[in-house]
Amino acid sequence: MTVSAYYDDIAKCNKCGFCHVACPIFRTTGHESGVARGRLALLRGIIEKRVEWNEELEDPLFTCLGCGACTTNCFGKIPTTDLVLNARAEYLDKIGKKPAHRLLFEHLLPYPKRLHVAARAVALGKNSGASKVANALGLLRIFGRDLPKAEGMVDKLPMSSFRGTVKPGVYPGTGDKLKIGYFVGCGMDVIQVQAGKATFEVLKTKAKSVTVMDNCCCGLPPYTYGDLGNTKLLARKNLDVFEKLDVDLIVTDCSSCASFLKKYPKIFKDDERDAARANKELPMIKDVVEFLYADEQDGKKSSDEAAGSYHDAHASAPQQLTGTGKGSVIVTYHDPCHAVRGQGIKDESRGILKNLPGVTFKEMAEADWCCGGAGSYALTHYDLSQKVLDRKMKNLKDTDADILVTSCPACMIQLAYGIKRHGMKTKVFHISEMLDYQEQLKARQQ
Amino acid sequence: MINESFIRSMEEIVGKEYVKHSKADMELYSYDASVVPTDMPGVVVFPGTTEEVARVLREAHRAGVPSVSRGFATNLSGGTISHSGVVVALSRLNEILEIHPESRYAVVHTGVTNLELQEAVAPFGMFFAPDPASQKVSTIGGNVGENSGGPRCLKYGVTSNHILGMKMVTADGEIVDVAGPAFDPPGYDLRGLMVGSEGCLGVATEIIVRITPKTESVITMLAIYDEIPHAARSVSEIIRAGIVPLTLEMMDNTIIKAVEMGAPCGYPQDAAAVLIIEVEGMNAGLQEQAEKIEEICMATQCREVRTAKNQAERDLLWKGRRGAFGAICNLSPNYLVNDGCVLRSRLPEALEGVREISEKYGRPVGNVFHAGDGNLHPLLMFDSRHPEELEQAHKAGWGIMEVCAELGGTISGEHGVGHEKQEAMHMIFSGNDLNTQQDVKLALDPDNLLNPGKVIPLPPEGQRRLPPSEPTILRRPGGAAAAGVKEAMGIIKKARSEKKAVRFAGNGTFNGIGNYSETPAQIVDSLQMSEIIEYDNDNQFITAGAGVTLAALQVKLGEKNQWLPIRPSYFTTDSTTGSIVAMAAVGPERVSYGGPRDMLLGLQYIDSTGSMVSAGGKVMKNVAGYDMTRLLNGSLGTLGLITEATWKVATRPETCRMVAAVGSHEKCYAAATKIANSNLLAVSVTMVPEADNWKLVVGFEGLQIVVPSQIKRCAEVMQSIGLAVSGDSEYPLEEGCHTGAFEKIWQSPFVLQADVIIARVLECYLDLERIVRPDQVLLDVACARIHAGFVDLTAEQWKKIDSLVKRCQGHVVVLKASEAFRKSNDVFGSTRPEWKLSHAIKGVLDPDRIFAPGILPGRV
Repeated sequence: MTVSAYYDDIAKCNKCGFCHVACPIFRTTGHESGVARGRLALLRGIIEKRVEWNEELEDPLFTCLGCGACTTNCFGKIPTTDLVLNARAEYLDKIGKKPAHRLLFEHLLPYPKRLHVAARAVALGKNSGASKVANALGLLRIFGRDLPKAEGMVDKLPMSSFRGTVKPGVYPGTGDKLKIGYFVGCGMDVIQVQAGKATFEVLKTKAKSVTVMDNCCCGLPPYTYGDLGNTKLLARKNLDVFEKLDVDLIVTDCSSCASFLKKYPKIFKDDERDAARANKELPMIKDVVEFLYADEQDGKKSSDEAAGSYHDAHASAPQQLTGTGKGSVIVTYHDPCHAVRGQGIKDESRGILKNLPGVTFKEMAEADWCCGGAGSYALTHYDLSQKVLDRKMKNLKDTDADILVTSCPACMIQLAYGIKRHGMKTKVFHISEMLDYQEQLKARQQ
Repeated sequence: MINESFIRSMEEIVGKEYVKHSKADMELYSYDASVVPTDMPGVVVFPGTTEEVARVLREAHRAGVPSVSRGFATNLSGGTISHSGVVVALSRLNEILEIHPESRYAVVHTGVTNLELQEAVAPFGMFFAPDPASQKVSTIGGNVGENSGGPRCLKYGVTSNHILGMKMVTADGEIVDVAGPAFDPPGYDLRGLMVGSEGCLGVATEIIVRITPKTESVITMLAIYDEIPHAARSVSEIIRAGIVPLTLEMMDNTIIKAVEMGAPCGYPQDAAAVLIIEVEGMNAGLQEQAEKIEEICMATQCREVRTAKNQAERDLLWKGRRGAFGAICNLSPNYLVNDGCVLRSRLPEALEGVREISEKYGRPVGNVFHAGDGNLHPLLMFDSRHPEELEQAHKAGWGIMEVCAELGGTISGEHGVGHEKQEAMHMIFSGNDLNTQQDVKLALDPDNLLNPGKVIPLPPEGQRRLPPSEPTILRRPGGAAAAGVKEAMGIIKKARSEKKAVRFAGNGTFNGIGNYSETPAQIVDSLQMSEIIEYDNDNQFITAGAGVTLAALQVKLGEKNQWLPIRPSYFTTDSTTGSIVAMAAVGPERVSYGGPRDMLLGLQYIDSTGSMVSAGGKVMKNVAGYDMTRLLNGSLGTLGLITEATWKVATRPETCRMVAAVGSHEKCYAAATKIANSNLLAVSVTMVPEADNWKLVVGFEGLQIVVPSQIKRCAEVMQSIGLAVSGDSEYPLEEGCHTGAFEKIWQSPFVLQADVIIARVLECYLDLERIVRPDQVLLDVACARIHAGFVDLTAEQWKKIDSLVKRCQGHVVVLKASEAFRKSNDVFGSTRPEWKLSHAIKGVLDPDRIFAPGILPGRV
């Protein structure tokens, strides 16, 4: 649908400006083009024919991180992110899609294996077409910011992807109840392989069986570029995979994937058959944070019933993580936008972390602010994204945390990069890694 | 003119990425949060430093390009919209630069939001009192530009009361520091003038704000009403009872519904109105005050009073109030909000007027407002996609301003005049009043480049000045008709035609204040102006002729259990209220009650042409036009003869008690700073030498149920620091607790007063002693002020003292000296760059220099 179809939503903005404070981009640039009020003013300008579709709109439309913080601060709850994504589609239609988009969305993302090969090629810089591919992959925020510099990538990119090591298929677990499907997001698959393995291991301790799925990209990247056609293509491919599975839950350890998988029914709102398919799968989709927290609550309940054995077990097993000479490690958490606003997950992650022995949890100021990893034109908006990140790093520094935990591979890359640039020592872990570490300690002690 | 080369020079100054001029960019800078017609600027620049702002303005000045400075543009009166000029966006100036809890001030960039400042000072147990409902997004620069209010104004006063100084850039691109962290610098109150000047007089880049210790506790109540007039009555009765709540906010049913539709905050949707009432203070007695308020509410037909049980409930009640404007979008896409102010007792009439106008123009209205201050916020709803609705809203808005003016109020209490209310200025000001304000603008911005065409109505086509007309609606009693005024006008007219100097006096006590003047001058005294022109105890203001003595004023107010909370140092029983204004005279209570600048609601004076000029009004909040009241306050009679002043008065405290303790100067000072920066709410904290030791005296004034506990805790602090508490006693309200101390100092041939910051009072005093030992001294620690009397003072010593005090971030003035000393020294110390601006204003308002020539700082 064109921008005009949303005139009522857009006209609802009375320019009160409360979105300014919440927008990480505005707080960085201070420019009205980087805030919901401004973006909506331009959309209104288009409808009222004061503003023309041309390249001047690229920045206002594409610098949006899509973090949704503006809507949270908006009295009318205007869905600016959606309105902007929608306008991006119209922009790409009218002004044209760039070749990099085509390469990424149409030729790489639907095919996990091609993605693996492309990433390696870029990393090693051996392929003459590497720079073109690099540019395309740069659009995928999971590769972080210095993708075009091959030397920067090599030490970051594991030799083998997660699914190169753990082939898709069914694996037995030690749990006794559930059958779980593990949806492997591109970021976990190609970049955060360690974290992916941790999730896999943790899930195995909780489930009767874990199926490593042969899914493709969830579709979020083309969606954020307003490319609904390719988004649907990817989503349909994934629905096909889901329907063939025999599992009780589909768990993913990428909060961005999780929030987007939960959005499938909305993507197909004009397509009854696919919408029905998506709706059927919906109750099965779980962010790993949600799943682990619920599992822990279950465990607590049953162990409480077993006369407090849970607490006794912990009391007799000193499983200290060690921090920087402070006895226990200080851990803080960064909320991925797609967890906190995308799925309303906030307390769960804290609940899990606070329960870990040897951990002192310290809340970070503005923990739910975007880290800047979501920048769209990753390459052209490098500086902007770094400034957003600087703010995050300052808040992180204030916590004195030894470990920064999160649940999104793109955030992990961005945060680790910031920590390196700021000369800090904080380690970045996926929440699965924290739990996996505990499990390992437990196993060792047994 | 903005052309390619201008844009290039902007890019050279701030960098290419910080200059925007595409068509889309201009669309983005064509609006603010108001509903006045949008307009396109020519270019937008984002300077990152004060120096860059200065270079931008210098270049704009050179090229004759008008500029508009803005923060986040949440302006509600169109003040930040530019017509083809350069927009100076200050959003990059967003750092909190310094926080000094021990001296109760902070320094921030203008682009810092109010809430960010609050959050930064909160860990020190302090807060910044102004709290506009938009605090989450409005910047301190904007708060200063508009002289913002907010719910807490009821108790703490408006933004201007809490601004100590600023770094600003003038129209021609010069960086000037105006005032500073120390109280009340000599020269015109330029910071007072700058606050509320809507970006028309200069561009502030850094602001020095006063921060205040948080009180011990707060109780938040929600009073629910079935009829609006009942709520209005509760408001009046609560204030009459002598309780000063922190807030008294009203929301009507329309607003309640809009808020609840967005995010439920627990307001009952069937209520006609609710009041959010908050009281704060010491734990002792607070519950009783809350109960008393509840009693009053119930006696004025309130349905129910609910009390917030915890911080979460409190936050929820405020969330709804602070989000009320935005919540309107649940009912209608757009709103036009008025912010007129009326006398509190006339709120029911005002609301009825609003209702009639809303019906007449067919624009639905919701009311959410600062009831305690009589400050309305009718939100007129419309859809900007329908031009006829917008026109109806504008007409209704105009009608509401008329209602406010008719009820003796003002057209704008908070949001500023901007473009929206420009023509409405005629409702409350005469042509001469407005021309005078425009003269002030042109004194500081001769080429009319800073936010031009705003605030003051434009003269008719082809004319340079507005015709001399009376206000179209507001009638001010007093003025030329008051006793003694006509005669004085005659004398001044004559002096003007003969180009002869005149000097104003009260009873003559302070004729030696200011620099020595070589020009012989005729003395015009104000003693004939001895009328009480208007006294409205319900609305807590009094208008008195300049010749009324402070003592007489207090007697009059005492009849209604009220008073003017000021006890100027060195005043005698026959000192006049006019001299308080002329000298901006204060006493040690200034730290808690404020100075005359904070109590003056308005004044009238005779200008250098012998005509009357009115400034301000009589309502608690007034941001219509430049703050001429503050400009005249402390101007030493160099801008005009003040004939009458309207004062905000207070209910008398039930009791005044002081506690004293004796010990070394270090210990006294340590205890004094601890008390001054604590939440004990002392009214004055001073120390004087006594025998070989020092004596610390702390005054408390207020309710019987509160003061004893303050005394007790204060004594505990004194003891904990090792002072010997010498007992506490009651003191008379008019006299205060410094009886005799100032008289003693005044007996010295030389008297000086130095203002520094709290943290450096003792250090500064001890260094001063090394230069020349005073024979009389009083250290007013809470105000960070040193009063000292000397037997003799040489020019050399004076120079040393002046530079010492400057090193302590303050200023020093010789109040009394031998004629020989005065003839050869500037009693205001070495030159401050800001005096140049004072002199420019003087030059425009008194071009022939007939008013007290030579006495100003800089000997002008």
